[in-house]
Parts: sequence; structure tokens; C-alpha cells
Amino acid sequence: MIRDITIGQYYPVASPIHRLDARVKLAITFIYIVTLFFVDSFIGYFFVMLSLGAVIASSKVPLRFMLRGIKSIMVIIVFTMIINLFTTKGETLLLEIGFLRITWEGVAVALKMSIRLVFLIVGSSVLTLTTTPIHLTDGIESILKPFSKIGVPSHEIAMMMTIALRFIPTLLDETDKIMKAQQARGADFDTGTLKEKAQSLIPILVPLFISAFRRAEELATAMEARCYHGGENRTRMHVVSIGRRDFVAFAVTAVYVCIIFLLRHAAEIVPFWI
Amino acid sequence: MKMVRAQQLSYEYIKTVEKDGVTTEQKLQALKNVNISVEKGEFVAVLGHNGSGKSTFAKHINALLCPTGGTLWVKEMDTKNEELVWDIRQSAGMVFQNPDNQLVATVVEEDIAFGPENLGIESSEIRKRVDDALEQVRMTEFATFTPSKLSGGQKQRIAIAGVLAMKPDCIVLDEPTAMLDPIGRREVMETVHRLNREEGITIILITHYMDEAVRADRVYVIDDGDVVLNGTPKEVFSNVEALKGYGLDVPQVTEVAYLLRREGIPIPADILTVEEMVGALCQLRSTI
Repeated sequence: MIRDITIGQYYPVASPIHRLDARVKLAITFIYIVTLFFVDSFIGYFFVMLSLGAVIASSKVPLRFMLRGIKSIMVIIVFTMIINLFTTKGETLLLEIGFLRITWEGVAVALKMSIRLVFLIVGSSVLTLTTTPIHLTDGIESILKPFSKIGVPSHEIAMMMTIALRFIPTLLDETDKIMKAQQARGADFDTGTLKEKAQSLIPILVPLFISAFRRAEELATAMEARCYHGGENRTRMHVVSIGRRDFVAFAVTAVYVCIIFLLRHAAEIVPFWI
Repeated sequence: MKMVRAQQLSYEYIKTVEKDGVTTEQKLQALKNVNISVEKGEFVAVLGHNGSGKSTFAKHINALLCPTGGTLWVKEMDTKNEELVWDIRQSAGMVFQNPDNQLVATVVEEDIAFGPENLGIESSEIRKRVDDALEQVRMTEFATFTPSKLSGGQKQRIAIAGVLAMKPDCIVLDEPTAMLDPIGRREVMETVHRLNREEGITIILITHYMDEAVRADRVYVIDDGDVVLNGTPKEVFSNVEALKGYGLDVPQVTEVAYLLRREGIPIPADILTVEEMVGALCQLRSTI
């Protein structure tokens, strides 16, 4: 059961979105998230949905993979919806139960907020589903590089992410082994009260931590033996380069941003419920 | 020029022992005046049981440890000279016991590129070296695999490729097969022998498997931080009793030869392989 956990949900197909430079995808995702907060009309959201749909279609990743991320934040979406539904002050009363007032404005805000959340999650899923973890870390390293002058350890951050990704399967295997060893000696992880269940995790976590520290030390020695001395004077085998495809992506994003802002002003002259 | 030369090499460390709430410091000698010299292109095996100091010796060759007495030279570079550390590590690569704890990247080819990337080599040259190294360990079709999907023997071959990509003159392997199954052991040993034979890379194999030492050019036996025996495998393994005294086994056939000799059967003491044994026994029968 422990093997079901996957980190880095990359979906390997060949598509124009997959081939984009990771830095470009990171930047566009960032722009997308920021502009999402400027959308305030249903027409705007309809346009976002169309654009997102077009991107998903060209990424060749099945829609259900994109929507999988929503499930995990369903609770948050429902919670935001309820809060907004009852707390938004409005004019047109829809329903009144005791002290709870639901207005048309409240319904509109609640809907918009949850749509925004869904788009946020689906949009960032596009990034993680179409970019390998390595390209993503390389992209982050390269974006952070200019900030290393002001003390941001860009190379170290990327290195830590790479090593973490490398050791997740190893440590998962190890956890599995330790759990089986404990179960063979009569340990019970599945029954009992929450407190008992939590307590039964201690004999798993202690050996796991000890082994992780030992691994870390051995890995550090092995890295030193291979001449690792930080990011200074280090070269890379894969040199990332921005191509024509990436400029096209930026141009499309620019058009998208323009339309978002145009729709925002359009919203000023049409009623709130559109 | 000697590849590796150790002269009166000693290594001391302080171990803190806690007993009944009192901590005492104990001075321990892991290596005592070790003299070892390895020629270029040689295949040397260093034998010893657990805690004999053989791994400590291996770490000195890679300048991971600095001697507390005596000197060790790699290609005439003194490992005590801090300015030469990177040159030494590039010339004498190291492969460790646990295949999982020495691979850095999530993709095989990225991991092999790690060493050359650290050396600051140009990216097109790294690409070439990675492809060559993969070819040398016969792992080309696994270039884009993730290490966690490979077997122990395959991971160890990737670790060897990672060292090869740094173009070393010498590879030190510290018990590379201790955590592998028999198939993995064979894969790794074949790879190491091929590199020695075809690429002329000096191999220093630290091991406690006698069978692996049999095919070496020269064998050193370390016990309690001291070189107690050295010579060709035949010379070393004929000292069956001495080896047993150091907590080591001899290859199975050598053991049989030793037992036969003890029973008064005239058979050479330096038999190492089954073929030699068969030859010796046939010869014996024809003389009767």
C-alpha cells in the first residue's frame, strides 16, 4: 500500500507543452496564477476555462489526471464556499434562516471563489504533469541564480530537491521493510485508538530516522569522493536553452493577459451576475 | 611511476567510550605503518576481516582521510597537500559498498554526469563521457532509467560508470559486492576485470571475499591495521593457517588442497581454482 504514494506526478507523453523550457513554464504558471486573481466576472472565468482547456488539450494529458488534484483540496473548496456564502453582505436577499442570510451576491462570490481555486489547482497541475522533476529543479535553480548574489543558495536548494527526489523511493522501501519486520514480531498498526496508532508509529520512525542519517553521511562522503564542492565552477550536462517554441508560448501568454484585463474592464459596465 | 604508494602510513583516531556515566577517550590505531605500493595497471586486492582497517586505508587513497603519520602518494601527489585534493580524487575514483547511498541523481545518465559536472567540464564533452562510461559498463539501454528501478549489481555498475566518467587512472572499490546477490557480484567483478584488462585502469579492490582476490595480480592482507601478508594470490593463499589466524577464509579448493596435504597426499599448496585441482589430482593418479 505504501508503494502507491507517488511524488512528482509527471505524465510522459510527447507534446508541445512538454517540450517547453521548464523556466518558461514556471514563469507562465506564475503569470497565470497572478492574473487569476484579477478575474472577477463569470465571462472572465469562462475565458480562463477555454484557455486552460486549450492548453490541456495540447498537452495530451488525460483530463482526469488534471482533475485529480482537485479531490485533495475538496474540503478547502467546500469550506471557502460555505464561508463566502454566509458572510458576504449583499442587497438581494435569497434566503433567511434565523441569523443566517444568504444573498445572491453571496452565491456569486462563493461560486467565483471555488472556481478560482479549481483553476488554480488545475493550472499548476499542468506544470507538474508536463515537466519532469529534474527539469523542474533545474528550472528553479536557473531562475534563482540571479538571487544568489543576495544570498539565496540557488544551487543548494536545487541539489537538496534532487537528493530528496532520489531518496523518496529508497526511504519508502525502507519504511515498508521496517513495518514488515515489526509486523512479523506482532506489531499492530491498523487497530486501536488514534493515540495507540500514533504510538505504534514510533518504532517505525526511530529506525527510519537513524537509517536516513546514516545514508546522508555515506552519500556526503560519496559526493565528496566525486569531487563535489558546491555550485562553484560546476557545469551541467544538459544546457537549457530557450527556443522559438518558448517565445511563441510567451506571446500567447501576453495575449491571454491582455484579454483578462479587457474583460475586467468590461465587467464594470455589465451587472455583477454575468 | 607508482600509481599508489603508502609509506609508514598510520591513522589514529579518538573514540569516546561512555561507561557508567563516565566518558573516557580512547586512542585507537586503525592503521599502523602500512607500506603498500601499487603499479600502474595492476589489479590489487586488499583483504581483511571487519575492523581490520582496510576501509580506512581505502579512504586514504581518495584523500577522504588524512594520515596522522607517514605519507600516501597517488601518482606522486601527496594526499596531505590540500591543493591537490581534487586532482587526487579525479585520478583515484572510489566506489562504495552500499549502491543506494552513492547515487545522487534520479536518472542514471544524470548521475554519471555528476562527477564531470563537478570538475567543470564542457557539456558536450560530458555527454560524450557519459555515453562512453555507460558503454564501458554495458548499461547503455538503462541511460534514462531511475536508479531505484535497477538491481543492486546494476546500481554498482552505474556507480563505477560515474567514476569512469571522471577519467580516472585508478579505481578504489571498497567492498563493492558485499550487499549484492551472486548474480550482481559476478556482474560487478566482470566489469571491474574488463576495465583493468581493456582500459588499463588500475584497480584496488577492498574485499573479504577470497574468491574475488584469487584473480588479482597481487594481494595484501591487512590485520589490525598492519599489512601481515603480501604477494601473488598463490603465495598468499598457500599460508592457509596464517590466514585462518587473521579470521579469513581461503578459497574452497585451496582449503581442500590444504586438508589433503595434511593427510599426507603430495599435492601443491597453491591451488586456487577447480581446474588446477583437477589437473593436480589427475597428475597424482597417473604417478600412482
